[in-house]
Amino acid sequence: MERRVVITAAAAITPIGHGKEDIVHSLLNGVSGVKPLREDELISPFIHSKVYGTVDYPISYDFKRQYRKTMAPCSYYSCQVAKEVLEQSGLTEEFITSGKLGVAFGSIHGSPSTQRDIYRTFFTAADNAAFKKIGAVDYLKSMVHTTAVNITKMFGITGRVISSGTACTTSSQSIGYGYESVKFGMQEAMLCGGADEYDTITVAVFDNLLACSTAFNNDPQRTPRPFDKLRDGLVVAEGAGAIMLEEYEFARKRGANILAEVIGFACNNNGGDLILPNLDGITNTLQLGVENAKIDPDEVDLISAHATATKMGDIIEAQAISRVFGDHPYVVGLKGYMGHTMAACGSIETILTIYMMQEGFIAPTLNLEEVDERCAMLRHVQKIIRQPVKTAAIQNFAFGGVNTILLLRKLS
Amino acid sequence: MTRQEIEKEIKNIFQREFEIENPGMDDNLREAYGFDSIDAIELLLEIEKFLGFELTQEEKKQAIGIRTINQICDYVEKIARSKTASTSAGEK
Repeated sequence: MERRVVITAAAAITPIGHGKEDIVHSLLNGVSGVKPLREDELISPFIHSKVYGTVDYPISYDFKRQYRKTMAPCSYYSCQVAKEVLEQSGLTEEFITSGKLGVAFGSIHGSPSTQRDIYRTFFTAADNAAFKKIGAVDYLKSMVHTTAVNITKMFGITGRVISSGTACTTSSQSIGYGYESVKFGMQEAMLCGGADEYDTITVAVFDNLLACSTAFNNDPQRTPRPFDKLRDGLVVAEGAGAIMLEEYEFARKRGANILAEVIGFACNNNGGDLILPNLDGITNTLQLGVENAKIDPDEVDLISAHATATKMGDIIEAQAISRVFGDHPYVVGLKGYMGHTMAACGSIETILTIYMMQEGFIAPTLNLEEVDERCAMLRHVQKIIRQPVKTAAIQNFAFGGVNTILLLRKLS
Repeated sequence: MTRQEIEKEIKNIFQREFEIENPGMDDNLREAYGFDSIDAIELLLEIEKFLGFELTQEEKKQAIGIRTINQICDYVEKIARSKTASTSAGEK
């Protein structure tokens, strides 16, 4: 039995704002969330890339200590967006704790700031002192599913837990596997998303791979530059996104506010290299997604591309889009606004796409000034387009050769 | 160390570390305040700081069944007394 799955709530904390109003304002006004990299008293002086997609505004949390004690920064983000989604959805506490609601949520590797504290203690304290300083909760704060289970604890959620930790496809998998959980009747609803906290180690990893942007260190807002001729790499970022998925009839009967329908999802692997983008692998993912959604590629009006602004990644993605969708759909690279929010990017880009569908506009790819001729076969968005979007695709690709596509449709 | 001093410090610890204000001396801490096994481990670390010496694994295990502030005070009093006794014996 295949059931229809709809999105009934969405919330995000991003470098360009917290909540729909702020985020839409940034999209409409070309506001970038990329800021100078902060000093970390550890490795930041040695990192060549000096930019970071930063959440630099205050967020007022009201979590009680019994919840805070197992929460690292990534879980603060996660629980906050989860709280907002639960409130927005209007689901009752009885339903939330009934076992009919599950959680699919993740981060790329737990909490790096907690792990860093553990190692700092380990390498600086002597003997027994190091052992004593490792707290009883350090593992709970830093384990790979820490975001998911801090959410279940805080809200008493007793359904299934899925916690993908597949780097940049973490939260697109959360939504995809959440969608399948509801579609095939395992859960009535799934709270899905991902989060990552401020972390310079992630920057160092990409920096060492020569994949980070370095040419705009003195002008952070001009990078990253998806599909642009002057793009020189990605910008690591922080943030969180969460959505509520529900079975369509259940949502309709209870009078839920339906934001969009998830009509398809696909995920595959390149079956080889763990880093390099793979044209055949990505092309297959996009085709599988279209088949899963049971639509014609021409029905897709808008594609939110993964588009990290690396030299090869954008070209391979452009070729794959061209192969499957031709030049019909508009293509936007939302990372131009905030950089690459890692585990959160799939959910944040899904949420931004929903906002654009709701508000009837397509945001331009920020910093796309001169399209790289090798990416020019697509229908790029370089200024705000006021046009309804009925069907959209969100593409994400990750280290490890993991590829995903989500397909959304606005309900008429 | 008097019983009164122990009670005062334990209540301070609960307020400072666990954000639990004026707990009843015989309240079941788990049921009344959600005080769990993670909190218990942290409480033992605070008790070590208060006593000024490390608890042995055996002494820590004796705390497993504790549920109330009164029982915590009994525990601290007992540990402090046995330490004093062993120190005195050593001095003789």
